[in-house]
Amino acid sequence: MPYKILEKKEISMRNIWYKIHAPHVAKKVQPGQFVIVRAFKNGERIPLTPVMWDRDEGWIVLITFIRGRTTMRMANELKPGDEILNIAGPLGNPTEMEKFGKILAIGAYTGIVEVYPIAKAWQEFGNDVTTLHVTFEPMVVLKDELEKAVGRHILETVPIDPNLDFPTNMKNVTKRLTEKVRELLEKEEYDMVFMVGPAGDQKAVFNVVKEFGVPMKSDLHPIMVDGTGMCGACRVTVGGEVKFACIDGPEFDAYQVSWDELIARSGYYTDMEQRAMQEYMKALQGGEQ
Amino acid sequence: MAVKRKIIKERVPTPEMPAEERIKSFAEVNLGYTFELAVKEAERCLQCPYNYAPCIKGCPVHIDIPGFISKLVQYRDDPDRAVKEALNVIWACNSLPATTGRVCPQEDQCEMNCVMGRVGDKINIGKLERFVADYAREKGIDEGLLFEIVPKIEKKGQSVAIIGAGPAGLTAAGELAKLGYDVTIYEALHEAGGVLMYGIPEFRLPKSIVESEIDKLKKLGVKILTDHVVGRTVTIEELLEEYDAVFIGSGAGTPRLINAPGINLNGIYTANEFLTRVNLMKAYKFPEYDTPVKVGKKVVVIGAGNTAMDAARSARRFGAEVTIAYRRGPEDVSARVEEVEHAKEEGIKFEFYINPVEFIGDENGKIKAVKFEKMKALDERDSRGKRKIVGTGEYVTLEADTVIIAIGKHPNRLIVNTPGLKVERGRIVVDENLMTSIPGVFAGGDAIRGEATVILAMGDGRMAAKAIHEYLTKKREGNA
Ligand SMILES: Cc1cc2nc3c(=O)[nH]c(=O)nc-3n(C[C@H](O)[C@H](O)[C@H](O)COP(=O)(O)OP(=O)(O)OC[C@H]3O[C@@H](n4cnc5c(N)ncnc54)[C@H](O)[C@@H]3O)c2cc1C
Ligand SMILES: Cc1cc2nc3c(=O)[nH]c(=O)nc-3n(C[C@H](O)[C@H](O)[C@H](O)COP(=O)(O)OP(=O)(O)OC[C@H]3O[C@@H](n4cnc5c(N)ncnc54)[C@H](O)[C@@H]3O)c2cc1C
Ligand code: SF4
Ligand code: FES
Repeated sequence: MPYKILEKKEISMRNIWYKIHAPHVAKKVQPGQFVIVRAFKNGERIPLTPVMWDRDEGWIVLITFIRGRTTMRMANELKPGDEILNIAGPLGNPTEMEKFGKILAIGAYTGIVEVYPIAKAWQEFGNDVTTLHVTFEPMVVLKDELEKAVGRHILETVPIDPNLDFPTNMKNVTKRLTEKVRELLEKEEYDMVFMVGPAGDQKAVFNVVKEFGVPMKSDLHPIMVDGTGMCGACRVTVGGEVKFACIDGPEFDAYQVSWDELIARSGYYTDMEQRAMQEYMKALQGGEQ
Repeated sequence: MAVKRKIIKERVPTPEMPAEERIKSFAEVNLGYTFELAVKEAERCLQCPYNYAPCIKGCPVHIDIPGFISKLVQYRDDPDRAVKEALNVIWACNSLPATTGRVCPQEDQCEMNCVMGRVGDKINIGKLERFVADYAREKGIDEGLLFEIVPKIEKKGQSVAIIGAGPAGLTAAGELAKLGYDVTIYEALHEAGGVLMYGIPEFRLPKSIVESEIDKLKKLGVKILTDHVVGRTVTIEELLEEYDAVFIGSGAGTPRLINAPGINLNGIYTANEFLTRVNLMKAYKFPEYDTPVKVGKKVVVIGAGNTAMDAARSARRFGAEVTIAYRRGPEDVSARVEEVEHAKEEGIKFEFYINPVEFIGDENGKIKAVKFEKMKALDERDSRGKRKIVGTGEYVTLEADTVIIAIGKHPNRLIVNTPGLKVERGRIVVDENLMTSIPGVFAGGDAIRGEATVILAMGDGRMAAKAIHEYLTKKREGNA
């Protein structure tokens, strides 16, 4: 069942926006849910988040950060008018709509695009939502949209240090993230903290939030395959019990999550992913000659 | 036709790829009969009379086995005709013979009862069934038969939604389409086929065969909506508003885990994840295909069913040393005999009476060994007739850099959580017509049985189609 790409644009460095015709998802999707995308015949199934949608017109917006081979191939090989082979969903449990009061909703890097629909809905539901986006300077996304959607949007950027490679560079973002969260929690009283971002950053932020005793929900991103509870790839230990993030989550109580296990599991394929990427780059260069 | 037959005791063997060659590839192991070999094997059949033929009684869907076998002999001078007639007999009960011919546990069903077993080898019914289906497909004979069926279908003007495109759902869909209903299948994955596609490996059931079986359904007018997860994309309640009846064939997809420390270490796969990566996502072709899988040097597979054999033999094809660890004894192994034999030929080791109690990891959160408790069997038997086992308090540790858990599965939770749907021990409860506690909603296959077999799922699909037809006939006439 192919799904047509209606629009595609680079909205900031390595962040690509796709507006896609996917009526079965648009009809049902709620903030907090995700889809599983398989873009190519020999492609992987990857989880992505509908950021915006129109139920009547039947489209959804996905925003991907170019990370490895799949997101890179999507950016390189798909044009408006092309079709994505599969979009399954919506999947995962919708975010709870409750009056929490004052909420700090944090997005690290492209994680903020997943915060957007949730923060917007919480604000509309009568909460006072502050969003915090921490990322590298050229990777800012959805600034205007967030400013419109919530009570206050805070943007913190970190310059990319040309002398540092990527993982080392990311430590600067983590540092700014934890400092900023600490500063906010010292100054203001929040009823709840919510976060989307890499497991390592989530853990770092949680360690700060814990000191203040503020409740925290984490949107977890373990590696997934089917997204329907069938494979068990996405299992995480929460409160000592094994949960499947795709059908039990993806949001969990940050105080209950076994963070080190999640961090270890998220990195299991890094070497193979790098190899896949190198092969792809080689093929690209070969193709250009 | 009480012709006196000469008894030929030995089975005509099917050619197989040698073990040392096949562990290097995912190509099919058993190469199947040629027409000549098939006729030779068919000639051995005693043609027991229909009412008596014990093979038919042993078949869960009661295929007229002597009936189809006799066609091969009767029309031996015209192979195409022979196959067409034989296929017609099989199709009356079984729409996926290329699949069942390969994966049914024949030794426990039709072949178990075969009279020839008293004097020599039992008839190789499975391989004959497979031959008929394969030959028909290669020559387009099955399509020809379909084209004869399609124009005769009378449209009923009622519609049925099917949840899940596994053997149960596919069979129900085919039967209902032949009866003239508009049928739409809702499938969660990007490909139809269920376990046939994501679970059973290419070397046992080539995916092109499953695809061609599904193509035939599409020719009957069945619509398949992949990427549609019932319980999320659409609910059963919503389906009931749009369709006149619903059939649940969502299988038993949720893996059971072992409640032991370290279960979430890296390198511990559920069989479902491992096989899905390998089969559905073609991880054995990484990096040509994008999905990775990691198979270490020492693989331990826990469990001894078909799933465990498939996982073990797949891992072997990545060059690993593989051990199957099972908490019971050899007599309780539930996998098909052929698979166990193939596994042994391929150099897979078996360790019996050991039960995992702890998964031991290294400092990076990666599995390095499994600690097992040694078990012993008692004379007492449990409700399934298996000998009870108890721990001995003694332990052994096996080194492992990959572990695959294949100890069973539960039905999909997204379906089971439907309000008003009666469920017991995770399985959907049905009455004798396969109707669930929700009127108009039927169910079959692994979703009601827990883990069973392809042919039982198909049998349920057929039976449910019949029941749905009766239900909808009443509804139609009631409305008229
Ligand atoms: C519920 C959920 C929602 C997500 N929403 C978005 C989104 O809206 N936008 C976005 O850019 N990213 C999102 N992600 C992350 C996205 O799935 C990964 O970036 C993507 O899989 C990377 O694929 P790749 O081939 O480009 O990179 P790879 O080379 O495969 O991997 C790079 C890194 O991405 C992560 N990753 C890889 N495969 C998966 C997988 N199957 N599931 C989860 N993480 C994986 C790993 O940490 C890995 O180290 C989401 C993840 C989850 C679980
Ligand atoms: C590895 C393995 C090897 C096996 N080997 C054999 C063998 O050799 N011989 C044999 O007879 N049996 C074998 N079995 C068992 C056999 O495959 C099953 O009994 C049979 O497939 C059950 O059929 P089913 O149609 O009930 O379910 P399945 O085949 O499980 O199909 C269910 C389908 O429903 C879909 N689905 C699930 N939930 C939803 C939802 N919420 N919405 C939409 N779709 C959904 C799934 O994606 C799947 O496609 C094996 C099983 C496994 C796992
Ligand atoms: S029981 Fe054996 S010999 Fe008798 S009809 Fe069946 S297959 Fe032939
Ligand atoms: S992704 Fe397979 S069970 Fe969650």
